[in-house]
Amino acid sequence: MTANVSRRTALALAPAMLAASSVRAAEPPKDPPVFRIGALLGLTDKGNWNATVMQRGIMMAVDEINAAGGIAGIKVEAAIEDHQGVPRVGVDALQRLRARYDIQAVLLSYSTVGLAAAPICEENKIFMLDGGSVTDGLVGKFSYLFHNRSVASVMARAAMTVAKKNGYKKMAQMASSTDDGQSLLRAAEADWKAYGGTIVGTETGLPTASNIDTQMAKLRTAGGDFLAIWEFSPGPGLVLKRAREFGMTQQAIGIEFTAEILKVAGAHAEGYVFATDYFNPEAADPWPQRFAADYRKKYGDNPEVYAANYYEGIYIIAEAIKRARAGGGNYFTGERLKQALDASPVVPSVYGGNMTFQPDGTGLKRVGIFKVVDGKAVFQNFAEVSR
Amino acid sequence: MELFAQLLVNGLGNGSYYALLGLGFGLIFGTTRIVHFAYGPVFAFSAFAVWMAGKFLGLPLWIAVLFGPAAASVGGAAVYWLAYRPFEQRGMSSHSVLILSLGLTIVLESALTLGFGPSIHTFPDFAAPIFILGPVFVTGLQLAETVTLLVLAVALTRFLQHTRYGKGILALGDDRDMARIVGIDTDRISLVVFALGSAISAVAGVFTLLNEGATPTMGFYPVFVAFVVAVVGGLGSIPGAIAGGYMVGLVESLGLWQIPTEWQNSIAFVLLFVVLMLRPQGLFVGMKR
Amino acid sequence: MDLVLHVGVMICLYAILATSFNLLIGFSGLFAFGHATFYALGAYTTAILTQRLHLPFPIPLLASMLLTGGVGLAIALPSLRISGIYLIITTLALQVIAIDIIINWTSLTGGPSGLSGIPPLSIGGYVLSGPAHFLPVAFAAAVICFLVARHIGNAPFGRALRAMRENESAAASVGKNIFYMKVSVFGLAAALASVAGSLFAHYLSYVGADSFQVSETVLILSMVVVGGTGNLIGSVVGAAFLVLLPEVLAFVDLPQGFEGQLRLLIYGCVLILFLVFRPEGLLREPRRGGRRVAAGATPIALSTKTAFVGPLLTGTGLQKRFGGIVAIAALDISLSAGRITGLVGPNGAGKTTAFNLLTGFLRTDAGEIRYKGKVLSELKPHELVRAGIARSFQDLRLFTGMSVLENVLVALPRQSGDRLSALFLRPGSVRREDEANTAKAMGILEFIGLGERAMDLADDLSYAEEKLLVVARLIATEAEVLLFDEPLSGLDGAAMQKIIDLLRRLAADGKAVCIIEHNLDAIRNACDHLVYLDEGRALAQGDPNTLMADPELVQRYFR
Repeated sequence: MTANVSRRTALALAPAMLAASSVRAAEPPKDPPVFRIGALLGLTDKGNWNATVMQRGIMMAVDEINAAGGIAGIKVEAAIEDHQGVPRVGVDALQRLRARYDIQAVLLSYSTVGLAAAPICEENKIFMLDGGSVTDGLVGKFSYLFHNRSVASVMARAAMTVAKKNGYKKMAQMASSTDDGQSLLRAAEADWKAYGGTIVGTETGLPTASNIDTQMAKLRTAGGDFLAIWEFSPGPGLVLKRAREFGMTQQAIGIEFTAEILKVAGAHAEGYVFATDYFNPEAADPWPQRFAADYRKKYGDNPEVYAANYYEGIYIIAEAIKRARAGGGNYFTGERLKQALDASPVVPSVYGGNMTFQPDGTGLKRVGIFKVVDGKAVFQNFAEVSR
Repeated sequence: MELFAQLLVNGLGNGSYYALLGLGFGLIFGTTRIVHFAYGPVFAFSAFAVWMAGKFLGLPLWIAVLFGPAAASVGGAAVYWLAYRPFEQRGMSSHSVLILSLGLTIVLESALTLGFGPSIHTFPDFAAPIFILGPVFVTGLQLAETVTLLVLAVALTRFLQHTRYGKGILALGDDRDMARIVGIDTDRISLVVFALGSAISAVAGVFTLLNEGATPTMGFYPVFVAFVVAVVGGLGSIPGAIAGGYMVGLVESLGLWQIPTEWQNSIAFVLLFVVLMLRPQGLFVGMKR
Repeated sequence: MDLVLHVGVMICLYAILATSFNLLIGFSGLFAFGHATFYALGAYTTAILTQRLHLPFPIPLLASMLLTGGVGLAIALPSLRISGIYLIITTLALQVIAIDIIINWTSLTGGPSGLSGIPPLSIGGYVLSGPAHFLPVAFAAAVICFLVARHIGNAPFGRALRAMRENESAAASVGKNIFYMKVSVFGLAAALASVAGSLFAHYLSYVGADSFQVSETVLILSMVVVGGTGNLIGSVVGAAFLVLLPEVLAFVDLPQGFEGQLRLLIYGCVLILFLVFRPEGLLREPRRGGRRVAAGATPIALSTKTAFVGPLLTGTGLQKRFGGIVAIAALDISLSAGRITGLVGPNGAGKTTAFNLLTGFLRTDAGEIRYKGKVLSELKPHELVRAGIARSFQDLRLFTGMSVLENVLVALPRQSGDRLSALFLRPGSVRREDEANTAKAMGILEFIGLGERAMDLADDLSYAEEKLLVVARLIATEAEVLLFDEPLSGLDGAAMQKIIDLLRRLAADGKAVCIIEHNLDAIRNACDHLVYLDEGRALAQGDPNTLMADPELVQRYFR
């Protein structure tokens, strides 16, 4: 609650700050004692494994950066708050981060919490980065919000390239009744209809539902050349398992594969094809390799998309900080971080190569198609998705 | 028709599972009238016990499953003895006991999460066998659920009717004050009820572990279902819990045949609402007999 | 600074929710478990009206209150049929169904995505966005809602609610309309909760189903219980406590990687410890029951001096079956003014059933009940009390959690403060009337000999005093036909004589009194007329001395 300036002071200072920004190249950078980056995660939400993985990714990136001497010698710290999957609790947590640390950059997760928190960040010029949700509801509405996970429109279309390539005509789909699941469903339906495909069955289930027997029985009767799964970890695991147990043999196509999904689906995961941000620890790029190896060493698991994205999120913000610092002046502000990425939207990605932020804030990553073989995700090809 | 047959089988399979939940919860709730939300973490605890027996002791499944009911009965009895009983002795209002059970749920779920981590735990190398009967697919778990339910229901009925403790439970469920007046140790009977009811529902917990894996919060939804089943069937009635379980299972399964599956969550509760409006005492009249 | 303001806003919103919930569970004893439904309805109604239809303040707020209040009325209906545990589960079911409707009615509610970008509250051209501008509004709303709740809680209506909480049938037996009370308190609590929802929608600019899950109802309930049920200030304190607790815990440094779970664990432990050390909540239910006032100038207006000639109440050919068992086969009974009729007979003869039939607590299968010549068979208990027929219960059914004075006060007839409309439209006259009624109630207590105990809880009375209070409560109804179910049982000589004298006095003042009694001395001493009931029939009627000398009856009963 200390470093926060009241709105009135901020208004009074605005002209001065404008003047400052025009001459900032000449000014030496005003370094903060520490770069504190906030994060709103569903630590005690029902599906909190994903939050745990995100937290691991964040902590790993912070430790790495600090071990390497921080950013320009200044240490990075993560301030992680629990949003419990409840929008109001997320806003409470955000206000705490602002009061306690005058937070300038925050990592978001969980779309409905993001929808409640983003307006406050936007108004208070806080840089936001979301590596978890794929909802279209958060795209293009907030100038301070960036996404480093490919959003629904990209993911769904990438998944559909598999169906098109295999010459499928009839789609049966199972979607979770969440914002993200429905976003994928909408994007996939639009793409599939434009392609001329038909939809023979659409079923929804709660993200926490353990009984999806009726859905699967109906989908089996509906037939379809393939089964599209618009659910998030661990949902696809149960869908795969029940589909196979009910004797559904068609290709299953989804957008996520995690250790949790594999655990639930077991052998039934075999042959599952999914589109995801291209992360290939076996590829030649050194960063993905190093990250995957270190993560395995530290936590004993393979890194999942949520670990990689939140790990990457810290690095993206660190990169933005470096660039903003080069401009001098009071550079560690949400506004300057945003300007830094707006000015040059290309950043290195832990997925290999670079990622480019589009004008709507979404990061353009390569999306890869993977197939589960012997319980492992095996890279097939890159999905060609026009934007 | 194929679909109908499959849905019918699914409904029966899930009905057995729901009936197991309702049987255990109904026994506790019907006898002690404690709205025992903390049944959720006890349920999860039983699944973790089986998981540990398989993972760390390397026990085969058929032995490991016995750890579930054993752990749940200890856990359930401990919750009663250490938490509910002192509150009841002080004559606390039902609101306070309800909040107590909700607070306990928070504490126990957090403790389980801290102990086991939030990730899904599955029994090592288990895959349920699948049977194909014409157009219908049945899993070995669905069959096992039905068989265990019937065995447990018969055993529980005999226990209640023919043993001293069983009769004490019936008397307590009938009229608490009267039971006390005729010299029944109500605390001890309640303890037995908690141990027994938790053990029965742990059977359902073990099936959840085998079906989809265990998480610390896995008991959240089953408590609601158990509540609904027990009330729909008639509190404290064994035939009621079974009828309630199958009714919820079949209505959910067959109802979603025509109703879009988005409404899955509501169906059991709509059923509950309708039953209570038509027959406030539930389908079967429980303890009073 | 924004954090403090934000927390302030949250406390205000939850204070509204907790006080309104307290009206239901604390005051009325209606353990509904779905308060977040009303919160959600208020939020969504405001969001939709503001965002889609661009309606200006206060139209969305009023519409939210109206709609949610209406839904509250509907949700009250189950509570008329079921109670206790069954009401908990039913209202829980309704909340789950409501959330499902919200999630699935995508075209209206945005479905799982919810509605975002709701415009901030704008009052008279001032846009109130951000915690600093919003807090005054939230505070004002919380104060108004609190005052409304307090006004209701302290008024005759609130007293009637508490009587209903203590004992529903007893409340009906003193003329309270249970249907009206349940429906209106549900509607009112729902409307108040919707105010919090409406403000929430503007404040957060986002509404989604995740904000109104069962866990939210649990939170509000915890606030009420922690603060103390039946105490409205307690609800405000409880709201503040449970909003602040996580904030404070967030500042406690905990081992990295486990902070979230550990904080939740501590939160749960604090909640439990709280129940252990403050089982009744932070604040106890206040002693209401008005100030002690001087008894009215005239002791009481007992005399009714009806112009009606003939028996006041007659039942002819009454019949009642329970399943296959005939409780009342064919009963003819008539009660006349100025007379004490004794209803006697062995256990299971149907005496209490007869009372239940005459006072509308049970419907007759056949037969006719006439009061002053008019057929009353279709009336409900509270309507019969208003018409002039009141009864007491064998098991007393005093409002034990209320003061002695309130037990009498609540029974007085024609209280305009029992109606919400009067409470808000004519608060002044309601208050004056209640002052007069308090004096009247004091008069009755003085007359009965309980004046000294007026301010004590009914729970603290001795058995003899309880019996007296039953009589006082029945007198207060101003009914002309008074049916006492075993008013003398368990009393010793002096206490018994005191009540018999009271009954005589009532009869002398023109009341028709009927008692169920077993004590033969008491019957001989008190009754002018006896009806001997056995196997559901009036086997004999007449003068007590004659009847008690009848050899056959002596053999059967009067030994």
